[in-house]
Amino acid sequence: MFRSLLLLATLLGAPAIAAPDGAAMTQMLETIDDRQRNGGDYKSTVFIETKQRGKADLVYQAEVLRRDASDSLVILFTKPQSEAGKGYLRIDKNLFIYDPTVGKWERRTERERIGGTDSQRSDFDESRLALEYTPTYVGEETLGRYTVHHLKLAVRDGVDVAYPALELWVDTESTNILKRQDFALSGRLMRTTYYPEWMKKFSPSKGEEIYFPREIRIFDEIEKGNATTVVIQEVDLNSLPDSIFTKAWLEAKSR
Amino acid sequence: MRTLVEIALRNLLAARRRSALLGTAIALVTLMLVLLLGLSKGIEDNMVEAATTVSAGHVNVAGFFKSTSTSAAAPIVTQKAPVRAIVEENVDGIEYIVERDRGWGKIISDTGTVNVGLNGLIAADEARFFAELEMALESEYAEDGRDEAIGDPRRLAEHDTILLFASHAKQLRVRVGDELTIKTETNAGVTNTVDVEVVAVARDMGFMTSFTAFLPRSTVLELYQLNEMNTGALWIYLDDIDRSAAVMNDLRGHLADAGYVVMDHDPNPFFFKFERVQGEDWSGQQLDLTMWKDEVSYVAWILAAFDSLSVFLTLILVAIIAVGIMNAMWTAVRERTAEIGTMRAIGMQRGHVLLLFLIEAVLLGLLATGVGAGIGALLAVLVNASAIDVGVEAVQAILLSNTLSLSVTPQALVGAMLFITFFTALAAVWPSLRAAALRPVDALRHTE
Repeated sequence: MFRSLLLLATLLGAPAIAAPDGAAMTQMLETIDDRQRNGGDYKSTVFIETKQRGKADLVYQAEVLRRDASDSLVILFTKPQSEAGKGYLRIDKNLFIYDPTVGKWERRTERERIGGTDSQRSDFDESRLALEYTPTYVGEETLGRYTVHHLKLAVRDGVDVAYPALELWVDTESTNILKRQDFALSGRLMRTTYYPEWMKKFSPSKGEEIYFPREIRIFDEIEKGNATTVVIQEVDLNSLPDSIFTKAWLEAKSR
Repeated sequence: MRTLVEIALRNLLAARRRSALLGTAIALVTLMLVLLLGLSKGIEDNMVEAATTVSAGHVNVAGFFKSTSTSAAAPIVTQKAPVRAIVEENVDGIEYIVERDRGWGKIISDTGTVNVGLNGLIAADEARFFAELEMALESEYAEDGRDEAIGDPRRLAEHDTILLFASHAKQLRVRVGDELTIKTETNAGVTNTVDVEVVAVARDMGFMTSFTAFLPRSTVLELYQLNEMNTGALWIYLDDIDRSAAVMNDLRGHLADAGYVVMDHDPNPFFFKFERVQGEDWSGQQLDLTMWKDEVSYVAWILAAFDSLSVFLTLILVAIIAVGIMNAMWTAVRERTAEIGTMRAIGMQRGHVLLLFLIEAVLLGLLATGVGAGIGALLAVLVNASAIDVGVEAVQAILLSNTLSLSVTPQALVGAMLFITFFTALAAVWPSLRAAALRPVDALRHTE
């Protein structure tokens, strides 16, 4: 009996002993952010496949262009033909959408669902977990064949995010995020995201390798059956012309 | 004059077949005009009823709040109590005021999704709303539903409940008692959800209910993380809807005098204004006053288009009738040339000849339009009593109702009669002038 109680106490106590403190967890988030942060310019081709119940599957192709130093972002749709030329531009913390069929710009919120899919602006933007959230440690777990840190994140005061609470499963070896769950203010699970594959590439501006997910799989937890897969290809970390992050450039590309 | 009327009447009776044919044509055109006017008025009545039930009060005090000049515009009045006090103090003839909270969200069931405007209400204040709404039979929105209305809209007094309209219930494949999830973003941009129970399903009221659902105010406040001091809009119901414009203009002055920033009058619904307001360089609270017509301006085109079509059709038919009248009068003048000559020979003035033919046309017009208008009024009563269900959704959207409704007023009947009679008389002027212009000698020679 005593031995059983001792074993139970050891098991219950073990995670507490192994659990990183607040500073260590924040450090973990900073590492996640920093490993993805380029500091310079970023360009990639993304394929967004969306499945929505009752609708035909859709695949979009878009160019993502980013300048992390100024928090600028451009997402320009290139395929299918019906969407080609539509684009998002983020400048000075304002997100705009351009529709070439009407030739009009509209301001959108930072939480905009890109192209009406389950993907959001933040999925294509620089990772800012340490700046936006405060972490707490849940425990060390197993996710498939990976050993992971399970963290709960709560949004910091005054920060503008779509989901005020997150849970992350971070690979203990690589410190890459493998799974993420986003929760609404009500506490309801809204979406689960998997990052099955991470790539790395040398960044001339940073002088070291940076990490980026090669694939992101997003599952809508409210509208069951809705899912979005984002595949990131042709990542280029060389400098981009200044003119790209302007309305004029996007309008010109849309013609 | 009496003699002229008697002669005209006898002439009409003498040419019985011609009068009957022409009279029937005039009666049919009048009938059609009455029905078109009735339908137009019916749509207008539906619009007023639907608008002032689901979309607006007679006068609305709403507004936008922006925490910074670049932030999203929230459709709220942040301190409703002092605003309401100014309204109650300065507006005469208020029947009652209700508060409605405004939002936009996605309603999600196990099988479907709809995006709708979320309207928060206080059930205890909404006697008129509940009286105007017609509950849908379960069979109207559920495949194996019963032929009875299920649920109780007054359960909107309970937290986390929802009233849907039939088209949405059908789309979401839900019935009373089912649970739904509502997903939206708070004004701060944070995703939020709430689970609600369907407590009632109402019949659609055309276009205006195609993107509307009702919830308790408490649920909307929770969803948007707002406190009790806020409201979306104060809807003011007056004893006379025609005073709306005057009351709104007067109230604008009182609110401005009290120090509120009142937006320039923009005769559009509040949801048309988000982009403009968001682009404006100001922060804080601004009030937006509208009338019921403004909040449904996006459906006013239906009435305008229908009225234009009615005018077009009526003018074509009136032109056809006018040609018929002219032809008939020409024939009458030709047939009665000798008679005209005799009357002129025994001393009848040219003016009286002219008047005689005009009286004939007017008498025919009045009698025929009277019959047409009478049949039209009777048909309208029958149509309304039958509550004919319009099955096609597009037609329902245009009629702003699920049933065909004709609103025929005495003024419309008299108006239609006078309108057609006037054109009948007008068409008879030229033949009458020609008759009056005949010289007695020429007319008498015609008999030889």
